[in-house]
Amino acid sequence: MTVSAKDYRSSLKPVWCSGCGDYGVLKGLTQALSDLQVPPEKLALVSGIGCSSRLPGYTNSYAFNSVHGRALPIAAGIKAARPEMTTVVVGGDGDGFSIGVGHIPHAARRNPDMMYAVLDNGIYGLTKGQASPTTDPEFKQERGLAGEDERPLKPVLFMLGTGCGFVARTHAGNLPHMREIFREAIAYPGFAFVHVIAACVTYQTPAYAKLLYERCELIPPDHDPTDLLAAVRMTQTPNIMLGVIYRRDPAHRAKGEVEMDEPRAAEVEVDKQGVEE
Amino acid sequence: MSTPTPGQRAEAAGAAPEARTASVGIAMVGSGGDGVVLLGHLLLQAAAKQGVYGMMVQSYGPQIRGGESAVVLRVAESEIQYEGDQVDVLLCFRTSDMQRFQGTVRLSPHCHVLLDAHDDGQLPAWLGYQGTPWRFPFARIENGVEVPGEPKNMVGMALLCRMLGWPQELARTVLSERFGHRPPVLAKNLAALDRAWAGEAPAALTPLRGSGRQLVVESGNEASARGGIDAGMRFFAGYPITPSSEIMETLIDELPEAGGKLIQAEDEMAAMGMVIGASFAGVPAMTATSGPGLSLMTEMIGLSSMAEVPSVIVDCQRGGPATGQPSRMEQADLDHAIYGGHGDFPRAVLGVYDVVHAHDVMHKAFHLAETYQLPVIVLSDAYIAQRRQIRDPHGELPPPPRRRIWKPGDEPLRFKLVGEDVVAPFRIPGTPGGTYLAAGIEHTPEGFPTADTATHHQMNVKRFLKVEPMAAETAGWFRTLGRPDAKRGILAWGSTYGLLREWVVRHPEYRAFLPEILFPYPLAAFEEWRRGLEWLAVVELSYRGQLRRFLSGLTDMGDTIGLTRSGGVPLSGPELDQLVEGARR
Repeated sequence: MTVSAKDYRSSLKPVWCSGCGDYGVLKGLTQALSDLQVPPEKLALVSGIGCSSRLPGYTNSYAFNSVHGRALPIAAGIKAARPEMTTVVVGGDGDGFSIGVGHIPHAARRNPDMMYAVLDNGIYGLTKGQASPTTDPEFKQERGLAGEDERPLKPVLFMLGTGCGFVARTHAGNLPHMREIFREAIAYPGFAFVHVIAACVTYQTPAYAKLLYERCELIPPDHDPTDLLAAVRMTQTPNIMLGVIYRRDPAHRAKGEVEMDEPRAAEVEVDKQGVEE
Repeated sequence: MSTPTPGQRAEAAGAAPEARTASVGIAMVGSGGDGVVLLGHLLLQAAAKQGVYGMMVQSYGPQIRGGESAVVLRVAESEIQYEGDQVDVLLCFRTSDMQRFQGTVRLSPHCHVLLDAHDDGQLPAWLGYQGTPWRFPFARIENGVEVPGEPKNMVGMALLCRMLGWPQELARTVLSERFGHRPPVLAKNLAALDRAWAGEAPAALTPLRGSGRQLVVESGNEASARGGIDAGMRFFAGYPITPSSEIMETLIDELPEAGGKLIQAEDEMAAMGMVIGASFAGVPAMTATSGPGLSLMTEMIGLSSMAEVPSVIVDCQRGGPATGQPSRMEQADLDHAIYGGHGDFPRAVLGVYDVVHAHDVMHKAFHLAETYQLPVIVLSDAYIAQRRQIRDPHGELPPPPRRRIWKPGDEPLRFKLVGEDVVAPFRIPGTPGGTYLAAGIEHTPEGFPTADTATHHQMNVKRFLKVEPMAAETAGWFRTLGRPDAKRGILAWGSTYGLLREWVVRHPEYRAFLPEILFPYPLAAFEEWRRGLEWLAVVELSYRGQLRRFLSGLTDMGDTIGLTRSGGVPLSGPELDQLVEGARR
């Protein structure tokens, strides 16, 4: 029996604003799951709190809409307890990169087999329009938001720094691209991060959303996603690059990745007589 | 609601043994490197091999590592949970190290004092020692300086074993087991032991009778960890924190062997989140922490209750607030355990009496968590967590509690509001047809988020419906001590139990009540017990007297006396005598 995209939908109607990019993400995600034929009962979908964190409620899965910022630890527990579950974590830029940021590097270090998609709208939408860690400073100045001289966090560059083995970016307005990226990320055998540009239609202007969309550009086909330094360069372009930016071969250390492990000190037999710790 | 199977170890409420036992107390004081802690471990092993009971507490100077340390060890003919009011032997490698341990070390009137022959310092006056110490050249001095690395503790081992009347072969066996993997160290230590055995010995003590049955040596934290495994726990996440870290360390070694998994989390919020995730996935899970960690976990303890996902949290209480006194004990997390968190949510709070109980209480904790699908906080403390104890081997253990599991065709609502199944069978991820949304946001009986105020109220009613059967089931979860007709009462909880079970024997005009479950409180039993009392004091190691304040909201505590002080060190017999005397006046 094949599972279609709509089989992953619950009877609950989304309460996102009309035109919100999260509708597209829900669609792209369910399509990707259908491509992979994940049975709904084998899907664990975990979120924290925020507009995008409502997504698990709209799915037919073992879903967990937890508390703000803690989706990754909860998903880690689920995956440890039941490794056969296809585990997907979704959330926003505030949930992931502000209150929950302490968990991200450690998820990358432990490298559980799961996808983490951050739906980045650069704003706190649920609480009505405060600045988030990814808000553009110019936009903050226009809106009179706090932290107008604070530089935004760059999710993809940040994730490359954590040692995450799979880092990709897509846009909520580009459904086929999103479907493909989600499919690859879910299939990746390790911790896979997807940065989803999903503008807010309520607290950002349509012009800003349009600008973001226009600045998106597909990664050129000659990009080598196993090259960490090339991946870093992909974050330093004027445009927003979409695609698989970094993909470490799960079995191999990547090109350009510095050997970080110190050689182990030789084991020394310490003769301290009866004195032992 | 269906009546849950109690499942726990049979234990008659209110029938705890009253300790009156022949025992010997020994204090050993030295600097880092003198090896007094190792000496204590070896003596405990030697006792356990003969079926002699005992326990050992450690006290450090200001530094946790490297400074001076004191070990108080007591060996006895039956199980003890208190290191004693005073010691019969003091072995002090350096008199200058004694100063830090005022209040920790108390000498009996006829205490034997063993000092180093090279040490010309004075014992501090507060010890009140008037006798002539017995001296032995523990240290080796060359050019007026002590040669480091001499096995002084092995010499101490020989002398103390001889005083206790324990055979040389036993001491040699204990050393061989400890150092067998390092033959040169073993040879050197055995040589020191034999040398000291051949020489002069201090006066012999009244010998203790051992049963000859091999007993088990265990720390409180090891007992908590193993109790979790024996209660079916198969997932642990934690973050290092004194004085609870050895729970995680024990589980790193022992949980995988039991088929479980462990994650050292990045912080306590993550640890609690992982526990909830694993339990949501159907695996009984726990974490262990101390006060600061409990504070960080608090939002997610509410989540565990709201989403009805079982969880067990062991809190080894230390001095608080903030960083407080990490290596000291206190009973001041009770408020947090009972009340901590925003909103209204049900939970259970258990108190640990001693090291033996630290194991057994975990079965009760998991039984409540898994049966009622809520968080259970187990309050241990640094005194229990860090001490080592000789106990009987476990008999047959009860089977682990079992969560009721949903099968296709069972109740369609995950969060049914009323009726028999107010605690609905748990849906294990992977089960076809059982998908649902677990949520920290208020939800409908189907699990969908809702802002409907009536539903929120009904859900609170539903969640708190769990408390009534839980209270009924746990109504006998307490212990009493002393004669039932005693007119003076002491209400206490947690590790004060160890002192009280001996104290009431010496003070037959007193009886004591110690709840094992703090929330829901076994109120009916307490009211029944306090009938006929002419005087009642609540003895607790918290500045504000948190148990008495909590009870003031449940019953009339107007005529009771709060005997409290901040924690740090546990109560001693003489101190309790003073507190009670002071309150009588």
